Amino acid sequence: MLVKRFKTRSVEGTLALGPNMAEKLMPTPKLILLRGELGAGKTTLVKGIAQALTGVDPEEVTSPTFTLVHEYAGPKVHLYHLDLYRLEKEEELAALGIDEMASQPDALVLVEWGDKFQSVIQRADGQIMMRANDLDEREIFLEIL
Amino acid sequence: MPLSRTRTALNRQAIYNKEMASGLILGIESSCDETAAAVVRSGSEVLSNVVASQIATHALYGGVVPELASREHLTNIVPVVRTAVAEAGITLADLDAVAVTEGPGLAGALLVGITYAKALAYGLGTPLIAVNHLEGHIHAVLMEAKETLSLASGVPVLALVVSGGHTHLYLAEERDGLWNYRNVGRTIDDAAGEAYDKSAKLLGLGYPGGPLMDFLASHGDPNAVEFKLGGIKPKLHRDGASRGGEFDFSFSGIKTAVLRYTELHSMRERAAARHNALMQVEGNRREVALALCDRETLDLIASFQKAVAGYLVKQTMRAAEEFGAGSIIVSGGVAANRALRERMSAEAATRHLQIAFPSLALATDNAAMIAAAAWPKFAAGLFASDDLNAVPQLRLG
Repeated sequence: MLVKRFKTRSVEGTLALGPNMAEKLMPTPKLILLRGELGAGKTTLVKGIAQALTGVDPEEVTSPTFTLVHEYAGPKVHLYHLDLYRLEKEEELAALGIDEMASQPDALVLVEWGDKFQSVIQRADGQIMMRANDLDEREIFLEIL
Repeated sequence: MPLSRTRTALNRQAIYNKEMASGLILGIESSCDETAAAVVRSGSEVLSNVVASQIATHALYGGVVPELASREHLTNIVPVVRTAVAEAGITLADLDAVAVTEGPGLAGALLVGITYAKALAYGLGTPLIAVNHLEGHIHAVLMEAKETLSLASGVPVLALVVSGGHTHLYLAEERDGLWNYRNVGRTIDDAAGEAYDKSAKLLGLGYPGGPLMDFLASHGDPNAVEFKLGGIKPKLHRDGASRGGEFDFSFSGIKTAVLRYTELHSMRERAAARHNALMQVEGNRREVALALCDRETLDLIASFQKAVAGYLVKQTMRAAEEFGAGSIIVSGGVAANRALRERMSAEAATRHLQIAFPSLALATDNAAMIAAAAWPKFAAGLFASDDLNAVPQLRLG
């Protein structure tokens, strides 16, 4: 098991964590839970990881809360950014095709609010936990099983 | 239903004859939550506009279903199309074309509408027309406002599409009967509607609570809390040229600011209690929610509303000036927001810009806007091929 702790002091700092974080998330396929409250910086972290893995402009990486899934195709990795915030039932999850995504050999699936579903927790290969502390720093805790 | 299975996409174009046309287009929309169908004549006269959640599918199929999953779209699509055709007082054979949303949206959800539309168009021997969902939102306003907006050629319209999933600015211009679009601004993180919904959740108002926030905002002091929005750093392209971005939006910061404020002022427990109390309420929650909100919460909501509406107005007006727009249209679910309507209208008036908003039924996702957007394409013979597929990340302009 791999455990890493990071701390960043700005949005730029969180974005800059992308390459390091991306490297730790290899090899694919992997499904990673992305945990943290609203405003913890989850989308910002995904911006950095997506840029490192697929070359996408971080500004193109937006919140998938409404749209549920955003995909970014890179040369070696296909990144899926999911947000299950709006889903309530296991059937909805199945219809979203989360199993199909996670079973592709080049898939890195980052799931926000995945801990709402027992099936996703069981499927997960690890988790990233984020929180903002009193100094408005972001504490990031990476755990890969 | 007359079936002519031998026609190909090519001779479908050949059989189209303007004099013979009824002008009736069936629109189908299934990009995200709603399954919707509508019949619109000549791109402006709405004969029917049906959204799955409005008809009694929950009575038929047991329980109110969130239309998130493609399975729900599958369940809904047949009754929704039938209802739209029946309410329009026509038969399928009267249709000139079938229009469908090709993206952006969820692949599985889009595919239900596309597959159904394809099969129907094939069976009827009518053209199939593919429409971008965002273009649909723009036409939701254009179809109603064509009369009131004096659209001069060479003077673009600036469209703000603002909802739970989108915050985009487009320059739209009609050339040779077809509409052209250029994306000049978009959110780099959360959509405006999402900022509303998530802030509402933090305050215990349920999800999605955007419309409730709008209602409660008029009961608080909008100057109580100062929120700062914007401040996106202009970025340089690799070749050194500015890539613009000055009309982009960012709403992630205000969501975090609301969170910090609730923590700092020990509002989380009150929010949780409010949430539990509201969960017990059936039907209209507005008055109950108002009674459950203390002064501090109402002031926070009013201040939030002022900041978000002000930011949307500011960026839109700056873009209108930069690109010489003659009129502004606002569309999408957040176009129903009162503060946004008031402030945008007032600012447009001082700048002598025309402004138009959609009616409530056309603000949120619907299929009438898809049928309306398809009309110019129909007239121009711009039809989709038989291999039309869902494009989840489809862009406009």
